[in-house]
Amino acid sequence: MLVIKDLHAKVGDRKVLDGLNLEVPAGEVHAIMGPNGSGKSTLAYTLAGRPGYEVTAGSVSYQGRDLLSLAPEARAQVGLFLGFQYPVEIPGVNNVYLLKAALNAARKHRGEAEVDAFEFLTLVREKMKVMQMDETFLSRGVNEGFSGGEKKRNEILQMLVLEPSLAVLDETDSGLDIDALKVVAHGVNTLRSPNRAIVLVTHYQRLLDHIQPGRVHVLARGRIIRSGGPELARELEARGYDWVLNEAA
Amino acid sequence: MSAMPIVLPSNRDENWKYANLRALARARFEPAPAPAAAQVKEIAAMLPAALPGYARLVLVDGQHVAALSTAAAGISITQEVDADEKPGADQPGADQLFANLNRRFRQGTCRIAVPANAQLALEVICVATASSHPALEISLGHGAKLQLIERQLSARSDQATLVNLHLAARVGEHAEFELARIGQHGAKAQALDTLELQLGAGAAMKCVQIIEGALASRSTAFIEHVGRDASLEWHVAALGEGIQQHDAFVHVTHAAPGARTLQCFRGIATGRSRVAFNGHMRIEVAAVGTQTDQSLKSLLAGSEAEANVRPQLEIYTDAVKASHGATVGKLDADMLFYLLSRGIPPATAESLLKWAFVSDVLAKLPSSDLRSQVAAALERQLPGAATRTLS
Repeated sequence: MLVIKDLHAKVGDRKVLDGLNLEVPAGEVHAIMGPNGSGKSTLAYTLAGRPGYEVTAGSVSYQGRDLLSLAPEARAQVGLFLGFQYPVEIPGVNNVYLLKAALNAARKHRGEAEVDAFEFLTLVREKMKVMQMDETFLSRGVNEGFSGGEKKRNEILQMLVLEPSLAVLDETDSGLDIDALKVVAHGVNTLRSPNRAIVLVTHYQRLLDHIQPGRVHVLARGRIIRSGGPELARELEARGYDWVLNEAA
Repeated sequence: MSAMPIVLPSNRDENWKYANLRALARARFEPAPAPAAAQVKEIAAMLPAALPGYARLVLVDGQHVAALSTAAAGISITQEVDADEKPGADQPGADQLFANLNRRFRQGTCRIAVPANAQLALEVICVATASSHPALEISLGHGAKLQLIERQLSARSDQATLVNLHLAARVGEHAEFELARIGQHGAKAQALDTLELQLGAGAAMKCVQIIEGALASRSTAFIEHVGRDASLEWHVAALGEGIQQHDAFVHVTHAAPGARTLQCFRGIATGRSRVAFNGHMRIEVAAVGTQTDQSLKSLLAGSEAEANVRPQLEIYTDAVKASHGATVGKLDADMLFYLLSRGIPPATAESLLKWAFVSDVLAKLPSSDLRSQVAAALERQLPGAATRTLS
């Protein structure tokens, strides 16, 4: 599904990713953990094609195609979804309008007709139920005035409506209380399937209690320095990052 | 009378700094003759759909065309040619020059009187085929309510029309005047207007103005809080594209205690266009307890586009609250990337953000049918506008 080889990227003059290698097969959930400033969010933004995140070397193959050659919107249209750590507020653009426009953009790319209004509302209502969101959120501006937890629920709602093949969720657990974390985790788990992959960027084991990953990677100084099973996350939670950084050094 | 020289303002005049006056130097101000029957028939076919609940008054080149208008029960709407209009009635100052030209060339004045405690919903459509000087005089009696939609259209989109409108209104005590101004001129049109409004005690006025189309437009408004505790909201959205230049000057005088004024401007300049808004608030000695707020924002969406927003406060008394904010910026890069990351194509994403930028003004238009019509008219500048709803 996703194969990253020797990825180097910089933001402005600052080199952030420094030879990152990662492979995420279809059907798997991988967690990426690491200390602050290690390059986790840079990886997420680089995969999504955010302007200002410049790839200087390496390759990213997604479903066999060169992801880096695609514009940001094209990456989304072929099934990549980025869950933002800090979802942007866009007053004046309806939540429901964004959902419909995004869904139709993906359908258009697949050569399908625009979604029927009734079918769309049925779909959105079903997904909102999963995310325990009130329908009044649909008519509000995108993330406008939402609490931190509501914004994260809205991210996952968008993901559920768009049904991406690859979801990269950047600290989706930050700012969530226990109940909201469970709802968000449940939403993510409903998307798990043999033909999808999910990359969770997180600082904490607690998210991984609810979304169990097959693999856990430690990202430090711009590269993956250690990979393991779910037990690695528990060890990191208990011992911190120093030991793994020391071993890598 | 018409042989008198045409005196125009100059860009050296501070209030006319950003107006496009060059093309006006070559313009023909003499008004067009009354429309022929065949022309009236053509115009009837191009008028927008009637708005439910609104009577309609159609002026073609400033002249009332009864065949295209509907009656408003119990309300006096008259058009008269004033015998006593003289060139000597010119008012001094550059800001009055177009009002003076209107008085010189107008072919009658359309008077709309809403008696005390009466209500009227009226759409006035000014259609231009050449040069015209529509004149509206409005009076609202005590407690009267007027919802007025003033729409300006060019009969043909490729004609170099010139419209120089004058609108004067006296809003009586505790009367409510809701004015929606829609400028939908052709690409070569020049649009000028001068508004002079007086608000009586406890009166409430809300104006929502949408400026799009026209090669050049200049809107000049003088509003005076004459009676105490009057309130005013003035919302303007201007969308410039190509080489268009849209300039608005709104001068509000607060001459009585307890006045409230809110000014909101949202301008978008794309291509090589220019949008400008000059909001001048004067708070006089007697206007104790006045509160004013100005929110003037412009968006530059073209490498050669230009935007100028100027909040001006002139305060002669204490115990007032006057706040203002003015910004000129580009499309928000974070918002744009967020939309792109959801698969929305760049042109659609930019259009959505521009729509969002002006949506708080558009949402204040008084009827959903009118909002739909305006959204449809904005489709060329903001693709997808016609399908969007206003939250």
